[in-house]
Amino acid sequence: MQYSQDTIAAIATAQGRGGVGIVRVSGSLAAHIAQQILAVEPKPRYAHYGAFYAEEQQALDQGIALFFKSPHSFTGEDILELQGHGGPVILDMLLQRCVELGARLARPGEFSERAFLNDKLDLAQAEAIADLIEASSVQAARNALRSLQGEFSKQVHQLTEQLISLRIFVEAAIDFPEEEIDFLADGQILNQLTQLRESLTQVIHKAGQGVLLRDGMNVVIAGRPNAGKSSLLNALAGYEAAIVTDIAGTTRDTLKEHIHIDGMPLHITDTAGLRQTSDQVEQIGVERAVKAITAADRILLVVDTTSPEAADPFSLWPEFLQHAPDISKVTLIRNKIDLSGEQLAVDNFADGHCSISLSARQGQGIEALREHLKQCMGYQQTTESTFSARRRHLDALQQAQSFLENGYQQLTQVSAGELLAEDLRLAQQCLAEITGEFTADDLLGRIFSSFCIGK
Amino acid sequence: MDYPSRFDVIVIGGGHAGTEAALAAARMGVKTLLLSHNIETLGQMSCNPAIGGIGKSHLVKEIDALGGAMATATDYAGIQFRVLNSRKGPAVRATRAQADRILYKAAIRKILENQPNLWLFQQAVDDLIIEQDVVRGAVTQMGLRFFADNVVLTSGTFLGGTIHIGMENYSGGRAGDPPANTLAKRLRELPFRVARLKTGTPPRIDSRSVDFSKLIEQPGDTPLPVMSYLGKVEQHPRQISCWITHTNTKTHDIISSNLDRSPMYAGVIEGVGPRYCPSIEDKITRFADKDSHQVFLEPEGLETNELYPNGISTSLPFDVQLDLVRSMQGLENAYIMRPGYAIEYDYFDPRDLHYSLETKCVQGLFFAGQINGTTGYEEAGVQGLLAGSNAALRAQGKDSWHPTRDEAYLGVLIDDLLTMGTQEPYRMFTSRAEYRLILREDNADMRLTEKGRAIGLVDDVRWAAFETKREAIEREEQRLRSTWVRPNTAEGDALSSHFNIPLAHEYNLLNLLTRPEIDYAGLKAVTGTGVADQQVAEQIEIRTKYAGYITRQQGDIAKLKASESISIPADLDYTKISGLSKEVQLKLTDIKPTNLGQASRIPGVTPAAISLLLVQLKRRQANQNLEVSEQ
Repeated sequence: MQYSQDTIAAIATAQGRGGVGIVRVSGSLAAHIAQQILAVEPKPRYAHYGAFYAEEQQALDQGIALFFKSPHSFTGEDILELQGHGGPVILDMLLQRCVELGARLARPGEFSERAFLNDKLDLAQAEAIADLIEASSVQAARNALRSLQGEFSKQVHQLTEQLISLRIFVEAAIDFPEEEIDFLADGQILNQLTQLRESLTQVIHKAGQGVLLRDGMNVVIAGRPNAGKSSLLNALAGYEAAIVTDIAGTTRDTLKEHIHIDGMPLHITDTAGLRQTSDQVEQIGVERAVKAITAADRILLVVDTTSPEAADPFSLWPEFLQHAPDISKVTLIRNKIDLSGEQLAVDNFADGHCSISLSARQGQGIEALREHLKQCMGYQQTTESTFSARRRHLDALQQAQSFLENGYQQLTQVSAGELLAEDLRLAQQCLAEITGEFTADDLLGRIFSSFCIGK
Repeated sequence: MDYPSRFDVIVIGGGHAGTEAALAAARMGVKTLLLSHNIETLGQMSCNPAIGGIGKSHLVKEIDALGGAMATATDYAGIQFRVLNSRKGPAVRATRAQADRILYKAAIRKILENQPNLWLFQQAVDDLIIEQDVVRGAVTQMGLRFFADNVVLTSGTFLGGTIHIGMENYSGGRAGDPPANTLAKRLRELPFRVARLKTGTPPRIDSRSVDFSKLIEQPGDTPLPVMSYLGKVEQHPRQISCWITHTNTKTHDIISSNLDRSPMYAGVIEGVGPRYCPSIEDKITRFADKDSHQVFLEPEGLETNELYPNGISTSLPFDVQLDLVRSMQGLENAYIMRPGYAIEYDYFDPRDLHYSLETKCVQGLFFAGQINGTTGYEEAGVQGLLAGSNAALRAQGKDSWHPTRDEAYLGVLIDDLLTMGTQEPYRMFTSRAEYRLILREDNADMRLTEKGRAIGLVDDVRWAAFETKREAIEREEQRLRSTWVRPNTAEGDALSSHFNIPLAHEYNLLNLLTRPEIDYAGLKAVTGTGVADQQVAEQIEIRTKYAGYITRQQGDIAKLKASESISIPADLDYTKISGLSKEVQLKLTDIKPTNLGQASRIPGVTPAAISLLLVQLKRRQANQNLEVSEQ
């Protein structure tokens, strides 16, 4: 069976763990990419040690590069493996470099898929490959969705709408020249195009800064009022992010903090203490806390070891378990051991939850908690992370941008409407990778509902 | 009785699909019979007598590149020629001709009667002879049986046709013609999926009752364009103008106060009409904020007073038609010669067809034209040509052929129909073609003539002209590539000043032509050398200007070809492929794509689903290899 393939690239190692990070490239461009990044012709099955270069001979990282010549490789195609020092930012830059050099981001499971198609895996493994593709596409969809929540999604959809409305004008002018709707001739299209370019540039800028896109694990700190939730947040964050007082109910709203543990991003939400309250503001805070708990990847349930309920916190808070989706996502933090005299300890329970005794105020046991959180992230690691989903989106936006620039030149310098139309079509194809497909027939439908066509 | 001799191909229907189908089969040398209920209406233009326009002229030129009749007949019958989008780029330019209905019919009749291997016979067809899912021939109204192993059915709007004028309706195939109800009933017994579509026409107006001084004149283009690659301006008859008027608030009031008498709005018509060619009732209801619409008054011929008011197709009752026509400027005293009407007809779901247009459930039976859910002469003609040539190939025991999406608008048309089906009468638009910059009306011959020649569609005269043109283009491109211009030479200075551009260093002429400021005519004028043939010069110029975009599209095409080369067996059971969602399984089962490329174009089929399919195909192949080696 003959099938052609473009060159794919992906980060092959788990996120944020270990000292080595690997970017893997497979396909006919692997040799070319190796040559550009290593600045030497790659020798098959030989460990090259040296710098990995960005453009203009600027070193991104140092490490070992391996090149495998087709068909003697895992996928059966030319493969390049860049083993660097890890760290999500460096790895991402390295991956981005491969994309600039002509690779495309691999779909989840795609390396194994290629290996199978090139007879590198036997028939018995076919079922496993099918399962992998299915599972990873489900996972990828979930991650993409997560990356797309909130503000970013809103802005991308707005962009897409802007682009579609521009395309309606351009295509209508081309396909219906006798309908008195030749917008290419008047300034309307140029105006719209200029606005669209500005919006896209802004979104890319914000997305690049990470303002709109956040990834990493969502951790929610919950518990009764004055159990020491805010102290815990401050201890993890390393500075006073939340105001800490002895008065119960000080944190009336959810408070968010973004921290890194060994380069891995974590979003920590400190919530208002869970209790029945007549204070309206505090009541809203409690509701928000409940919402945050439902959506969390991990819940740190804080109990005060000096209070009576510390004996059996779960049975005392049946309503909490109702909100928490899964007990294995819960870490029980037994706080204030400096006051209660309890021993510093980490315990795993049969039902999947874990318990850590510590003192947030004194900093005892905080290191154990950080280790624990790192481990949780490792377990969460799947074939495609939110991180690569985000990289994919950014990549699509940047490609769309370059098509828009091209189209702008065609319109302003040559007034070539049909070439602008082509660039807009390609730009939309890029955005469609984020927002879903949009067919020629959809476009015609929009034209017919916007303009009265019918000579 | 049984007709005494057999045919290789029988074509049923003498419209634009039927005539191109019959001509194509006969050109390829097989014995062909064209059966029509009325020889006088062969090549009849039942709606507006106009050929071409955006997206459509591309199809006409493709028919021409494959030796068909439509473009040539247009050159002999066109009474007003224009190039639309002439100020936009070459990829979207389109030639349109208003034709003289009678001259057009005469031109087609002449071509048909002079075509070797083609026999015409007048008799309506009532039934097909089908033995165990294989077609064997056709039976006419009087019980005459014709035998052939290949039958092309092009029955247009005649299958179960119902004509609506106001609340009145009666059965008819076209105004003035009977429908083919017996045949429709027989076809409904076969396992095809059938649905109804609707289309409409406006009332026709007597030009003697029109005040032209109040209308805007729209003359044809100068210099006069031609439609066929072999066409000559001298073939054109006398040229006349079209005219433009507008609807106004009074017109709109008349229509809205009578909507309850429109069969569309009263719910009498179930068929779906085209969104791009709405009735005037539709326009006024859906775009209530617009208080005026353009109406083109297009003459139907040189020797007739009939005018076709393009833009007011309607099924309102006659008294309302009269009022609404007379409310427009210049038409105050208009006399209506034929009332407008809407027609509903049967069409067959095109997803039940192979790419050759042979039906999936009856071998040897081909469908072409409106029966497949399309609208327009051009869409019908090009399908006729494809079906006719494939019927001939089948008669010759050869493999079928079809162009792909990157080769022709014909390829886009059949792929769209087969992959997505259609819910409204399907019409071609350039925005349907993702390779629009490659599929131009100026290069249909470069794209298709060689293929047409290989299967016997293209005669010696056309082939010789094509080869001459192709060689001239290659020679001239080569000359431009190897001619260098240096700065500070007489020639360099002349070019610099003529185009007002600086020459930084040495360039070859082809390089220079890529610049937006430089055109071929100017280059020829300054250097004093160049080709005289306008078609050759045009090809070189367009190819050079589009070069960057064409290269990128060719990259996409290479990927498309790769995925289209992986065929999917017809008996693949999609429900057995684990991981495919129910929705995707259903869609794939419904359409049964023939290759992976087609599968990926089905709306809703995800890349992950394509991966799963690929793995499944590979597995199946490996299993088969295993079985072979064990035997």
